[in-house]
Amino acid sequence: MATTTSTAARRAAPSRRSTARRPGGERLQPAFLWMVLPAFVLFFVFHTVPVLQGIFYSFTDSPGYGEWNWVGLSNYVALLSDARIGSAYLFTLQFAFVTTILVNALALGLAVGLNGKIKFKNTLRGVYFIPNILAILVVGYVFNYLFSSSIPAIARALGAEGRLSTSILADPQLAWIGIVILAVWQATAFNIIIYLAGLQTVPGELYEAASLDGAGRWRQFRSITFPLIAGFFTINMVLSLKSFLQVFDHIVAMTNGGPGTATESVGLVIYRGGFQGGEYGYQIANAVIFMIVIIVFAIVQLRVLQRNEVSPS
Amino acid sequence: MAALTALTMLTAAGLAGCSSSSQTELLFFQFKPEAVAFFEQAAADFEAENPDIRVVVDNVPDPETALRTRLVKGDVPDVLTLNANGTFGELASAGIFADFADAPVMQTVTPSYAEVIADLGASAPGAVNGVPFAANASGVLYNEEIFAANGVEVPQTWDELIAAAQTFEAAGITPFYGMLADAWTAQSPLAPLTAQTAPDDFFAARFAGDTTFEQGWEEAALKLAELYEYTQDDPGAFGYQEGTRAFAEGESAMLLLGSYAVPQIRTFEPEFTISSFALPATDDPAETTLVSGVDVVFTIGADTPHREEAMRFIEFLMEPDRVAAYAEEQVAVPCVEGIENDDPALAGVQSYIDEGRIVGFTDHQFIPAVPLTQLLQEYLATGDTREFLVDLDTAWDQVAQRRTWGLGAVQG
Repeated sequence: MATTTSTAARRAAPSRRSTARRPGGERLQPAFLWMVLPAFVLFFVFHTVPVLQGIFYSFTDSPGYGEWNWVGLSNYVALLSDARIGSAYLFTLQFAFVTTILVNALALGLAVGLNGKIKFKNTLRGVYFIPNILAILVVGYVFNYLFSSSIPAIARALGAEGRLSTSILADPQLAWIGIVILAVWQATAFNIIIYLAGLQTVPGELYEAASLDGAGRWRQFRSITFPLIAGFFTINMVLSLKSFLQVFDHIVAMTNGGPGTATESVGLVIYRGGFQGGEYGYQIANAVIFMIVIIVFAIVQLRVLQRNEVSPS
Repeated sequence: MAALTALTMLTAAGLAGCSSSSQTELLFFQFKPEAVAFFEQAAADFEAENPDIRVVVDNVPDPETALRTRLVKGDVPDVLTLNANGTFGELASAGIFADFADAPVMQTVTPSYAEVIADLGASAPGAVNGVPFAANASGVLYNEEIFAANGVEVPQTWDELIAAAQTFEAAGITPFYGMLADAWTAQSPLAPLTAQTAPDDFFAARFAGDTTFEQGWEEAALKLAELYEYTQDDPGAFGYQEGTRAFAEGESAMLLLGSYAVPQIRTFEPEFTISSFALPATDDPAETTLVSGVDVVFTIGADTPHREEAMRFIEFLMEPDRVAAYAEEQVAVPCVEGIENDDPALAGVQSYIDEGRIVGFTDHQFIPAVPLTQLLQEYLATGDTREFLVDLDTAWDQVAQRRTWGLGAVQG
């Protein structure tokens, strides 16, 4: 999972790599080695080794303690016919796609607005950033209360019978919408920041030239702004999808996977089955599959989105 | 020079600190959120009597997950309180806990509760991997005042129970308060319903593959859904906290929970007497049994280096006065012989305890990996009985199939 992040960061800064090579000439400077090595060792010991250990356990029937046996690929075979796992993947993908699109559309729109000439610009930027610094769990319990008590109470007070007068979190068909709302509200802040950083890199003269040529606001956005910040769009899309695929805290605070198994994400099933159900080896196998799924999604996304990027220089 | 002096003093202070810490430190893993104050006080009292031991009380939320996470790290606590359920049985059979079969403290325990512990699972034949401390009685809690005001008698049969619910509904009182946001609450009425309507050897047959939930549990599932027709609107939006409060405030006549919920309800200071009765699932009062399980069991990590100190702590906790005090405070059934609890909330079920008309919790027979709680919550939201039973069978078979190391002692 961390691999996808670092790939994205590396791809995003291709120009820096070429400048770094220049002063040293052909030979690699030892200073660079010493800068990288500690991080590499820490990463290897605390991340790569546990991952390899986990992959090893996915071929066993270990409950996480005590004795275990080698079971070969049977955990992976069993995963294929497990309906609970299947519905968790379906829920997670649906949730991640919807949330990623909503978050990015909203963040891009707000960032363009916050980058324009408006009153209280800095105050508003601060206000829009607040959701990012609040813990998801804490906000989640607040939203949970809103959905299960406040909104139905308001709806009843207004005399609205029907959908809104009962908690949507208690409805297997609609509970996921509540989680999407929380996730979008919380994640938009961080994406706004990245889009704002991107918008700063767009030279102002381009807009002057464009308006002299008679291009309207929408045309300017489509032909200048968006192409020039496409790199930032790629990063945001990849990072959002990756983190929403791993959704966990949101669900714990809002529905705890319920009603029933309607909002169980893959991460939640791994945690529940592995630690609560005692099927450590089986859920580790699930985690290995899920890691591959996330990596594949990130690579495909990068390939497709980078094709549309242009370089401002 | 000054620096050197300071350094010497620091070292001396450090050494002095060491010499006083010849104390043994016991890590006490405490699962019961309702009893945090009790066990912290007991640990302090124990420390006062045993100055060589320091007890670190670790009150954990979501204890079973916390324990399993510790086990994955190979870090078993010295002393534990646990709920004696399916997970306890599974861990006991995996040899995580010490054996108490020959411990002197077991002589004081009510034999039937020692049996309950051994039946859940054991590290070896004849082993008992825990000391039962307090048991609960799981039936129906009711508001005596509302019952009297509406002229409703304590139901002896299933039909009387439904008739009572209809009477309350007609009077504009919520019969049962639904708390399905906390999915486990549905397991409370499920236990007596399945115990009384499914065949006695249902689980033995299910493990052997001779029966299915579709065959054995249909009546219980239908009756469970029927009970949940008599809740307030939108039962899925409210949890244990809201439910116990609503009952305490007189909003509902009954609550489908056991004696363990009474202390929580009393924190809201209800102005009526809380009573209880065993849930009748059939129309023959003689068939009614009370679901009772060991709510708190003490145990010791099998490999702890402080076995002797841990045992001393458990013996201290099992002293009759302390057991009685706990039972009174937590409205629990004491597991030590010769001690009784005359709390009015237990009066209605006392005869079942005395006569031994007791069955264990159904869900303790379940392999923990089967998502019973989730399927149950889904079922009560959708009401599709067939789908619930089929899903339960499928989940059970799949877990059984992929578990090569056996199904734990629940099997036998």
